[in-house]
Amino acid sequence: MKIRGGYFFRIAHVDLSTGQVERRPFDEEFALAYVGGRGFNVKLVADNLRKDLDPLGPDNLLAICPGVLNGCYLPSAGKTSFSFISPATGLYGDSNMGGIFGSELRQAGLDGLAIRGRAPKLSYLFVDDDEVRVIPNEALAGKSSIEAEGLIREQIGDDEVRVAAIGPAGENLVKIACVTSELSRNAGRCGVGAVFGSKNLKAVAVRGSKDIPVADIGRLRTLAKAGFDSLRAHRLFEFWQQQGLMSVIDYVNSIGVMPTYNFMDGVFDRADQVNGAVMEDHYKIGDGNCHLCPMCCSNVCLVKDGRYAGTVIEGPEYETACMFGPNLGVDDFSFVIRANYLCDVLGIDTISAGNLTGVMMEAVERGLLTPADVDGLAMKWGDQDSIVSLLHKMAHREGVGDILADGSRRVIETWPQLKPIISQVKGLEQSAYDGRVAASMALAYGTSDIGAHHARAWPIAKELELGANWTLEDKADIVIYHQTVRPLFDMLGVCRLPWIELGFDETQYAGFYSAVTGVETTFEDLLAKSRAIYDITRAINIARGATRADDYPPDRVFNDPIPSGPQKGKHATREDYEKLLDIYYAKRGWDGEGNPGVRLEA
Amino acid sequence: MIPERCSGCRICELVCAIEHFGVNNPKKSRIRAMVLYPHPVIRMPIVCLQCGEPKCAENCPTGAINRENGLVVLDEEKCVSCQVCVTSCPFGAMFVHDGVETPFKCDQCGGNPQCVQECPKAALVFQPEHVQGQAHRRDTVLRYAHMREVVYEEAGEPKRLRYAEIGTGRPRDED
Repeated sequence: MKIRGGYFFRIAHVDLSTGQVERRPFDEEFALAYVGGRGFNVKLVADNLRKDLDPLGPDNLLAICPGVLNGCYLPSAGKTSFSFISPATGLYGDSNMGGIFGSELRQAGLDGLAIRGRAPKLSYLFVDDDEVRVIPNEALAGKSSIEAEGLIREQIGDDEVRVAAIGPAGENLVKIACVTSELSRNAGRCGVGAVFGSKNLKAVAVRGSKDIPVADIGRLRTLAKAGFDSLRAHRLFEFWQQQGLMSVIDYVNSIGVMPTYNFMDGVFDRADQVNGAVMEDHYKIGDGNCHLCPMCCSNVCLVKDGRYAGTVIEGPEYETACMFGPNLGVDDFSFVIRANYLCDVLGIDTISAGNLTGVMMEAVERGLLTPADVDGLAMKWGDQDSIVSLLHKMAHREGVGDILADGSRRVIETWPQLKPIISQVKGLEQSAYDGRVAASMALAYGTSDIGAHHARAWPIAKELELGANWTLEDKADIVIYHQTVRPLFDMLGVCRLPWIELGFDETQYAGFYSAVTGVETTFEDLLAKSRAIYDITRAINIARGATRADDYPPDRVFNDPIPSGPQKGKHATREDYEKLLDIYYAKRGWDGEGNPGVRLEA
Repeated sequence: MIPERCSGCRICELVCAIEHFGVNNPKKSRIRAMVLYPHPVIRMPIVCLQCGEPKCAENCPTGAINRENGLVVLDEEKCVSCQVCVTSCPFGAMFVHDGVETPFKCDQCGGNPQCVQECPKAALVFQPEHVQGQAHRRDTVLRYAHMREVVYEEAGEPKRLRYAEIGTGRPRDED
C-alpha cells in the first residue's frame, strides 16, 4: 500500500428509512483519485445519480466528508463539505462548513458519511466512535440549531459532542435553509438544510477519540510551523485578527463593487456606518475562529443598547453584513447583527435571504409587484420591520414567504417580470460581489457548478487591480485556476482564506498532503485531480439537464450599467461574454455546450 | 493564561498532543480550550496551574502525585488510574483518554511549553513566578494615579501627553 496515513478507509453509509448503518470500506485507488472531502462527495453523489431523482426525496444522497487534511496539524484545517443534488437548483449542490465538526467525525474513524432514506420520525444521527445510530427525538421539532445542539448534548450527557443541526426552516423544506454547528458555523448554500429536513434528519452528532493517522508527524509539524509562521509574519495578520472579513466592506466600497440596493449600485454612501471599524468600536466583544485557524475571522458581537440590545452572535462576516446592510439600504449595524441572529435562529442562509429580500424591495419600489403581492409589507429600503417579517415568513413558509422559500427559480416562475432584477445563476442567489465590472467575475458566477456563489472563484479583486491589459484568455485562465484550487481546498478540508487574504503559498498543501498520507505528491498532481472532479460535477449537471444556457450571469450584468461611483457606467456585454464562454469551454476541453464528455457510471 | 485573548482555535491542544504522544489527536492534549456559547460566549484555555498545595496530590490514594522542582508530577509507576485526581482538580486540568493508561497533565515541556510558542493570540504566556502579579500591580498603580493630560504643540502638530500628578506632598483634591 502506498498510502500510510490520512485515511481510515471507511465511509459510513446510513439508510435513515431502515436505520441500517454500514461502515463500508474503500480502496486505495478511490482515495488517490478523489482525495477526500468534496472529491469523495462528488463521487458518492455521481454514483447515486438518477435522472428523475427528487432532491427532496429519500433517494437523494447526502454526502458529508471532512477532507483528508481536516483536523491535522496545519493552518486552518477545519472545513467539511456537504454535497447532494440541490433542491434550489436541481443540479449538483454543495456547501462548506468550518469548525471542529469534521475533525471530530474523523476521530470517530470515518472519512465521511453517505446518508440516504427518510427517518420515520424526526431523528438525529449519532456517530459515537465505532457506533453509528439513528436516534428518534421528536422533542427537537421546531428548535433552532443552537437549541437542538444543547438538547442533544443533554440527552447524550456530554458537553463536548459536536453537533450540526438545522433550524425550523430546514424542517419546513425551505430551499435556502442551512446547517449550523457551534453557534455560527454554517453550511449555508444550495438548500442543504432542506435536504436534512426532507430526510427527517434534525442533526448529526459526533464524538470521536481516535488518532488521525499521519504518516510522518515530524515532517508535518515542521511544515506546519513554517506555515503558521508565514501567516503570523504577514503585515495584515493582526488587522485581520481584529476585523476579519468585516474589513472587506471598506475595500469593496472603495473600488465601487459593493452590492447596494439589490445589486443596482456599486457604492453605498453610508458604508462607514456598517463597516469593520464600526463593528470593532461599538459591537465586538471577542474573537472566534474555526478549528486550528490562527486568523480568527469571527467577531463575537453584542448589541449593547437600543431596540436590539442583548443580541449576541458570532458574526457578522462580510457577506451577511453586505447582504443585510448596503444591499437592503440598511445603515444600522445593530440591525445587521439582529438580522444575522434571526437567520441563525431560523436556520436560513444569510446570502440567499438577503438577496431575495432585496429583490422584493426593488420590485415594490419599481411597481413590479403590488403591496398585496408582499402581504402588505412596506418593503422600503432600510425598513427593518419589513425585513424581520419577511425572514419569518420565509422560514415558516407563510404568505409571500412560501414563494421565496423555494428560491429564485420559483420567484421567476411566479413573477417573470422580476427576472431582469434578480441576481441568480442556475437558481442560486448571487453572493455579495458585483459581477458587472470584471468579466472574469461574471464568468466565475456563470460557470460555477453550484450557481452564483463566490466560493468557487473570486477573481474580481485581481482583475480590478492587475487586469487592465488582460486578454479574454487570461480571464478564462484565472477563473479556471480558481475553480481548480478552491475546490481542491474543499477536497483537503482546509480553508481558502489564508491563501486569498494573507498570501499563504498554496503549493505548501502538496507538502502537507505528502506528510499526512506518505504519498509524495506535487501541487500540480493535486490540481489535476481537482480538475477531473470539476468535470464530474459538470457531468452531473449535464445529466440533470443543464446546458450552455445555464452558464450566464444575471441579466443585470449585461443590461444595467453601474449608476455611480468609481465603476460608473460599466457593465459586461453579451458579445464579449459569449466569446469568453467559448474560450472557457475550449480551455477546459468541453464542447460548445459545455459538455465534458465524462461518462458517469451507475 | 489570558482568557480575554483566547479565540478557541485549539492549536494549543494539537501541538501538545503531538509533542507528548507523537499523535494527531487533540483528545490526548494536556491543555484544553474551553469554548462556551451562546450565553455567555467565552473562550479560555484550561491547563494545570502547578498548585503549591495540589488537590490532586492530596487526594491521590497511592501517593503518585508530588511536587518536584515547582512542577506537579504524576508517577506513572505508582498510579493505579483510579481517576480521583481527575475529579479532585478544581480546574479540570487533569485529563484521561481511553487509549492512555494513566491520567496526564501539563509538564511545561521541560521549560519550553509548545502551546505558548504556537498560540496565535498570545493568550498563553510563560513567566517565572516572581513576575506573576507584576502586570496587576502596574494596573493598580495606574488606576490610582488619576491620570491627567497636557496638550502641547510640536513642529506645528498638536500632541498629547498623559501624566500622573505625584510628589506634591499633600493629599490630592478629589477629582
